[in-house]
Amino acid sequence: MPTTDMIRFENVKKVYTGIESKSADIVALHNVNLSIQKGEFVFVLGHSGAGKSTFLKLILREEKATEGRVFVNGRDLSKIRQRDIPYLRRGLGVVFQDFRLIPSMTAYENVAFAMRVTNIPERQIKRRVPYVLSLVGLSGKAHSLPQELSGGEQQRIALARALVHSPPIIIADEPTGNIDPELSVEIMELLQAINSLGTTIVVVTHEHDLAARFKKRTILIDHGEVVDDGVSPYGKEAAYL
Amino acid sequence: MRLSSFKYLVRQGWHSMVSNRLMTLASIGVLVACLMITGVAVLLSVNVGSYVDYLETFNEIEFFIDDSAPADVVENLKLQLPLAQNVAFCEYISKAAAVEDMRGWLGENGDVMNDYAGEGNEQNPLPASFRISLTDVSDMANTVQRLQSMGAYAVPAQDGTAVTYNAFYRINSPTELSSTLVNLRRIVSYVGWGLVIVLGVVSVVVISNTIRLTVFARRKEINIMKFVGATNAFIRLPFFVEGMTVGAISALLATGIVGGAYYGLEQALLQPDALWLSEFTRCMLPFFEIIGPLAGGFLLFGISIGGIGCASSIRKHLKV
Ligand SMILES: Nc1ncnc2c1ncn2[C@@H]1O[C@H](COP(=O)(O)OP(=O)(O)OP(=O)(O)O)[C@@H](O)[C@H]1O
Ligand SMILES: [Mg+2]
Repeated sequence: MPTTDMIRFENVKKVYTGIESKSADIVALHNVNLSIQKGEFVFVLGHSGAGKSTFLKLILREEKATEGRVFVNGRDLSKIRQRDIPYLRRGLGVVFQDFRLIPSMTAYENVAFAMRVTNIPERQIKRRVPYVLSLVGLSGKAHSLPQELSGGEQQRIALARALVHSPPIIIADEPTGNIDPELSVEIMELLQAINSLGTTIVVVTHEHDLAARFKKRTILIDHGEVVDDGVSPYGKEAAYL
Repeated sequence: MRLSSFKYLVRQGWHSMVSNRLMTLASIGVLVACLMITGVAVLLSVNVGSYVDYLETFNEIEFFIDDSAPADVVENLKLQLPLAQNVAFCEYISKAAAVEDMRGWLGENGDVMNDYAGEGNEQNPLPASFRISLTDVSDMANTVQRLQSMGAYAVPAQDGTAVTYNAFYRINSPTELSSTLVNLRRIVSYVGWGLVIVLGVVSVVVISNTIRLTVFARRKEINIMKFVGATNAFIRLPFFVEGMTVGAISALLATGIVGGAYYGLEQALLQPDALWLSEFTRCMLPFFEIIGPLAGGFLLFGISIGGIGCASSIRKHLKV
């Protein structure tokens, strides 16, 4: 595997087995072959149920590929040991659609939390957290609780938290799903700025417009298959969505 | 692990205990009750054991020697019996010594024995004997049989065959008492251990339920920890802190209650009007001797149960 591949899927198939075979098996992804290079900015586009979240779960090793191999940041996830998974994840900054902030903690504490639970010394936390908060433009809101912040601000805390470990890859699941359209441009611009510093960015979305606006590489997933992969906008892609 | 991380984890565990205080109190209550019952059972068992030990010091067996037994057979027994298996102590009482013993027994009326006194006195009706006490009383019946067979000797008859006699014509052994004591001790210790196991399981279930609630209340946090790359060990630790703290607090409370009750009982038995119980009191292990092992045992039991309860409740939540 060339060293510039940050993410690579080789003949990946993911089947969800029904619990106690009451429900039928669901093939969420199949025949997926792709690679994402270091420093790329990629959209993963598809309808609801197409398999986008499954794609992310495979990268995060929340799920294991049923067939084929997934490589992330030089690791073969079919062979990774259980106790190495935390270290894989420290190299993957994730921004979830629902932000997943801890409501009882301030913006500062939410970001610091990600460093505390990974055994980073307090001195380093005190330096790093204000810095990443300033990167997302939230220095002034460090001591606010999530409920005192707007959706866009909460998302930026989530992004700041994803940045604390300086991960080579940032993954955003539906980053524009829960916020106003103008704010979604703002977050996308932030992601682009981070990308320009060399971080690989993967944005999962079902919004065709968003992918089209930024003219980036777009991987189109439909019914569990990659049906298109290239720079948006595509005539073909528009036909699907 | 860094000190700052460790402090953080301990704070987390403590925090969740406090915010979950009703469940925490409930599980402390149940655990204290379990520890108390277990402690009482164990104390009872060791005290019965101590009493049985005391009674066992009276386990003397008497082997009476037939007057017709040849002197060389008796001399041989004097050499062999003390060396036999399971014999702790062996004393030979000659016919003359038996008379002196009897005289001692009779006290003022000892003079009636005058006619029989003296070594080799033909009038003496008392038999010589061996007084033997055993190392392991639980094996008394077998040992008596084995020792008795050592008294066998053969005398050639006219027709060339041999007739077998036994030097011992009678054996006095408290076999029944000893087997009762041994059984008593066994029952008490079985019941004690049975309680320890049953209540141990109950406590594990209770603690693991408490922890499960905590885990449930904090499932979002756990999920976030997983995605930012916290190791399982790190995620588990606050719950262990919680479980073990509950265990330790319960152990201290139980030590206070059971230890206090034991001390009270001991003081009561030492009162002059309780002297009729002196036989038991003498065997009762003193408070200062039991309190250390009791506290240690409770702490060990409580903390390990807290840990086990924890481990059994959070395993499945870490499978992300
Ligand atoms: N844990 C699971 N068990 C069983 N089936 C699942 C599971 N997760 C997803 N699926 C199924 O796999 C398929 C793909 O789901 P996935 O969540 O990847 O879609 P998606 O593209 O993320 O959709 P959305 O845009 O609605 O989030 C769907 O049919 C879904 O029902
Ligand atoms: Mg999804």
